[in-house]
Amino acid sequence: MFARAGVNAARTVGMQSRNYATLREIEMRLKSIKNIEKITKTMKIVASTRLGRAQKAMALSRVYDEADSEVYTHAESAKVEQPAEPKSLIIAVSSDKGLCGSIHSQIGKATKKILAEKPTADVVVVGDKIKAQVQRSNSESIVLAFNGTGKAAPTFVEASLIADEILKLQAQKKYDSVEILYNKFVSSVSFAPTAKNLYNEETIKQSKGLSAYELDEDSNVPVAMSEFSLANSLLVAMAEGHAAEISARRNAMDNASKNAGEMINKYSILYNRTRQAVITNELVDIITGASSLD
Amino acid sequence: MFRTSLRQTSRAFNLVARRTYAEAAATGGLKLNFSLPHEALYENVSVTQVNIPAVSGVSGILANHVPTIEELGSGVVDVIEGSGVKKSFFVSGGVATVQPGSKLSITAVEAFPVDAFSPEAIKAKLAEAQKNVTSADAEVAAEAAIQVDVLTALQAVAK
Repeated sequence: MFARAGVNAARTVGMQSRNYATLREIEMRLKSIKNIEKITKTMKIVASTRLGRAQKAMALSRVYDEADSEVYTHAESAKVEQPAEPKSLIIAVSSDKGLCGSIHSQIGKATKKILAEKPTADVVVVGDKIKAQVQRSNSESIVLAFNGTGKAAPTFVEASLIADEILKLQAQKKYDSVEILYNKFVSSVSFAPTAKNLYNEETIKQSKGLSAYELDEDSNVPVAMSEFSLANSLLVAMAEGHAAEISARRNAMDNASKNAGEMINKYSILYNRTRQAVITNELVDIITGASSLD
Repeated sequence: MFRTSLRQTSRAFNLVARRTYAEAAATGGLKLNFSLPHEALYENVSVTQVNIPAVSGVSGILANHVPTIEELGSGVVDVIEGSGVKKSFFVSGGVATVQPGSKLSITAVEAFPVDAFSPEAIKAKLAEAQKNVTSADAEVAAEAAIQVDVLTALQAVAK
């Protein structure tokens, strides 16, 4: 055993003195950084092309949402008093894929902050990344988890499938307050985790401003409204989150490519310098050898 | 039954009463927001009248309509634009809200111009859905029942 350790030590010493191995090491390192740069550059280009589509989907869903949520502003649903200890549900919307900066951790932080205030709240997570984040600290709070969303711009079908499952849950647990947490797309360089309140039928019925509207008693409009709004809000949250994620990924990959470029420059210089040093050393060896023969 | 007819007459009455009101009002007209998840058909466009297929019955909406919220069934939304051109869209369902200040917001899941449908395709789909209505699987049957509803409404308008 000691003998082997001795061999190893001898080997390291030998490598340092010869210099060839470090040259090869630098070369390999340089190659791998170049590969990484290629990957990040490609990812950036892919994200750039997808950004346009994602932003368009987001803009449309915003118009859709405005039309939908105007009622609640007029009806003053936000002012309805909640019970002293409301049963809350948090829907945290993010996605499955990483490499996009702090998108997922921001939502994770926001979720944990709310959970610290309302420890009894249940959490529904949309996306594997956010699931992993919440699971680390509050695994018992998660009641429902979805994945597979956010590969392309979200559609209403996806949103309504998720809404369907949440409605089943709502029927069982009767939550007093439901809020959606998502990344709001602010600009191409920034996003902000945002919470959006959803109103259940009771809240809608109790809203003061609702009396301004003519309602058909028989057709149970508040139920239809709250169910439809859930799907709509999910769609908007997913669309905003998707756009924010894509743009964050583009920025992250842009930075990564730049860093890789810097490293490539540094290592190329180091590589060339070492190579020259090795050649000089060899020349010195040869000349000394030749002159010693004289 | 009397109740519904009463409601409809009162609705019609209201409509007539409001028609004069609308004409008396400034010519600002009705602002229409008609949006789908993937498309905004109208965004704050001034229109003359919109007919909506509410669950409680078809109703026409003019400027200065009283604020209301209606759940839409499957049917045709007629938009009569300022220039008098009428455009018809078939919607499968949604919500229409008249906001205070002559603003109508319609949010629907899907909407297509009526003339974009193929009657043959509707007929084929309808036959298939009707077959599934009697399915033993409750979920399949419920889905088929909704399909039949939408398709029969569609068949009546698409020619």
